[in-house]
Amino acid sequence: MSEPQDRASGYTCREVVELVTEYLDGAMRPEDRTTLELHLNFCDGCATFLEQIRTSAALAGSVTPDQIPDDVAEALRTAFREWRSA
Amino acid sequence: MIGSVGAPDVAPSDASLVERLRGGDERAFEEVVSRFYPAMLAVARGYVGSLGVAEEVVQEAWLGVLQGLGRFEGRSTLRTWVLRIVANIARDRAVRDARSLPFSPSDLEGGDPAVEPRRFRLTTEPFPGGWRSFPKDWRLLPETRLLGRETLDAVAEAIARLPDAQRTVVTLRDVLGFGADEVCEALDLTAGNQRVLLHRGRARIRAQLERHFDE
Repeated sequence: MSEPQDRASGYTCREVVELVTEYLDGAMRPEDRTTLELHLNFCDGCATFLEQIRTSAALAGSVTPDQIPDDVAEALRTAFREWRSA
Repeated sequence: MIGSVGAPDVAPSDASLVERLRGGDERAFEEVVSRFYPAMLAVARGYVGSLGVAEEVVQEAWLGVLQGLGRFEGRSTLRTWVLRIVANIARDRAVRDARSLPFSPSDLEGGDPAVEPRRFRLTTEPFPGGWRSFPKDWRLLPETRLLGRETLDAVAEAIARLPDAQRTVVTLRDVLGFGADEVCEALDLTAGNQRVLLHRGRARIRAQLERHFDE
């Protein structure tokens, strides 16, 4: 098991899991990002968690989005023709 | 009739689309409708309760788009402009239906932590704040399991079950691949608020997937 981070010098795992989205979006301040990456280097648990979040987001990208139902498409076509001829 | 569509700050593809729409080109209309529909529906569903009402909102929004085409100046992309119209109509509809509006401060305050607190050691224990037991490495799963139909269904179900505001942001960002800036512009959110919603949504999906793989 990895060494715990001393509170003054780093994040606990419990804090890390709340920072992953900010991290993945590149929105952390450089010093905070460095602190986080140091933790990830030494903590398999958090490194795995980060990978799970990445995977969850990537799998979401493979979900087929809702396609337009035929009746809605037809209603829109009608509306367009009415607008066009107005 | 061309107006500002020819202005250099309008993306060429947007400019030609808008011109074709204004000219009554039905194929251009079909093109934008099918392209934008998933995002428009996701935005509408963030505000209104049922799928049926969301579909109504989307139809109403298209009328607003057609009627407002002359005003589109290309200050944002066509897509963002369309989504803002959807958001406005959805908001009005939600207020009319006396629903509480999502994306509001109360929606963002509090909220569940990304991981259940019991997964971590207490401050009174050795290694405080550390994992009690590590999450499992999904890369050790057979690829057919990780990327198979059942897993995708579990993800889709997890997304469908998210609270409205989280579902909208996750759909736009992760399902449809929008950038953070565009989501903020479409939904009138600060970067921070958008990220909180994305974070919570992803955390719930992860948790559901964890349960799925543990079975």
